[in-house]
Amino acid sequence: MENTVYIRMRNRVQVNPTESVFLKDIAQIISREEIHSKLEKLPVHRVTPEDNNIIIIDVMVVIGMITRFFPNVEVQAVGPTQTIIEVIIKKKPVSISLFLMVWFLLFIGSAITIMNFHEDVSMRAVHQRIYTIITGKQESKPLLLQIPYSFGLGLGMILFFNHFFKKRINEEPSPLEVEMFKYQQSLDQYVIINENKESMKRLDDD
Amino acid sequence: MTISIILVFLIGLAGGLAVGAGFVAFLVVLGVIPRLTQLTKTMKMIQLYEWAVVIGAVGGTVGSLRDPILDTSAFITVPIGLAAGIFIGLLAAGLTEALNVFPILAKRVRIEDRIVILIMAIVIGKIIGSLFQWVYFIDQ
Repeated sequence: MENTVYIRMRNRVQVNPTESVFLKDIAQIISREEIHSKLEKLPVHRVTPEDNNIIIIDVMVVIGMITRFFPNVEVQAVGPTQTIIEVIIKKKPVSISLFLMVWFLLFIGSAITIMNFHEDVSMRAVHQRIYTIITGKQESKPLLLQIPYSFGLGLGMILFFNHFFKKRINEEPSPLEVEMFKYQQSLDQYVIINENKESMKRLDDD
Repeated sequence: MTISIILVFLIGLAGGLAVGAGFVAFLVVLGVIPRLTQLTKTMKMIQLYEWAVVIGAVGGTVGSLRDPILDTSAFITVPIGLAAGIFIGLLAAGLTEALNVFPILAKRVRIEDRIVILIMAIVIGKIIGSLFQWVYFIDQ
């Protein structure tokens, strides 16, 4: 028991290029006092330009390293079986023109799609009908109904994304945050399988 | 005669059943009601919300199949229009297609932290597009 080392790999770690990665950067460690600081300082990887921006450290590699340096120690791995190291290569600034283009695209696109939707479901006829039901008068442009409708449209979308309540009336994440999380998770899953040479075994057929 | 009445009755009932079930399934898929209860913390009232949807759907059916005239003030259409707009907005935002686009787009343009600005583009686009259509476009 005294010689057991527990490690838990972190999910994602960001490092700078040409930096050494130590065990304490990529994993949480529980061990005896004497070897704890030595374990923390154990160099796991040195980032080189050839690594590109994603490095996967498998827990097997880490266990192998620990048992090589501390032969009389038993390692117990808990949690994720690998760490994704993301090398931050000089953050490029956001290109303003590209951003404006995307913004304009989304703006025009959503304006056109809502108009198509209205035509598709005969929203105009429905509005005229509602106006007639309530007032008993015929009106080809019931703007009194349609202008609040238009603003309500935007309000409804903001409500859905929960940005209206920036103060956060509850702890739950908004659907968009969940969606971002799911997307990031699938990306991580992809690199874990594809960038990690240990997790795939192929026949050499060349 | 009796047979045709029964037949028409059955066909009407079957059509209503199919459309009603489809309508509810549509609402469930887009998650509008869960989202509203989550925002307002009224999970306990969810059964009453179901009734609101059912009564609303039946009322809408009556309104569109019969020709009721209420003869009241035109200003009553203001809250009705607003509510209709908010509901359609929730539907539009709930469409998974729209939801899936944002993470990818935000990563490409590298503005993960300011994704609100992209949402605003869509929201303002919807408002302007709708206003443009009702005020100007339909006259052309």
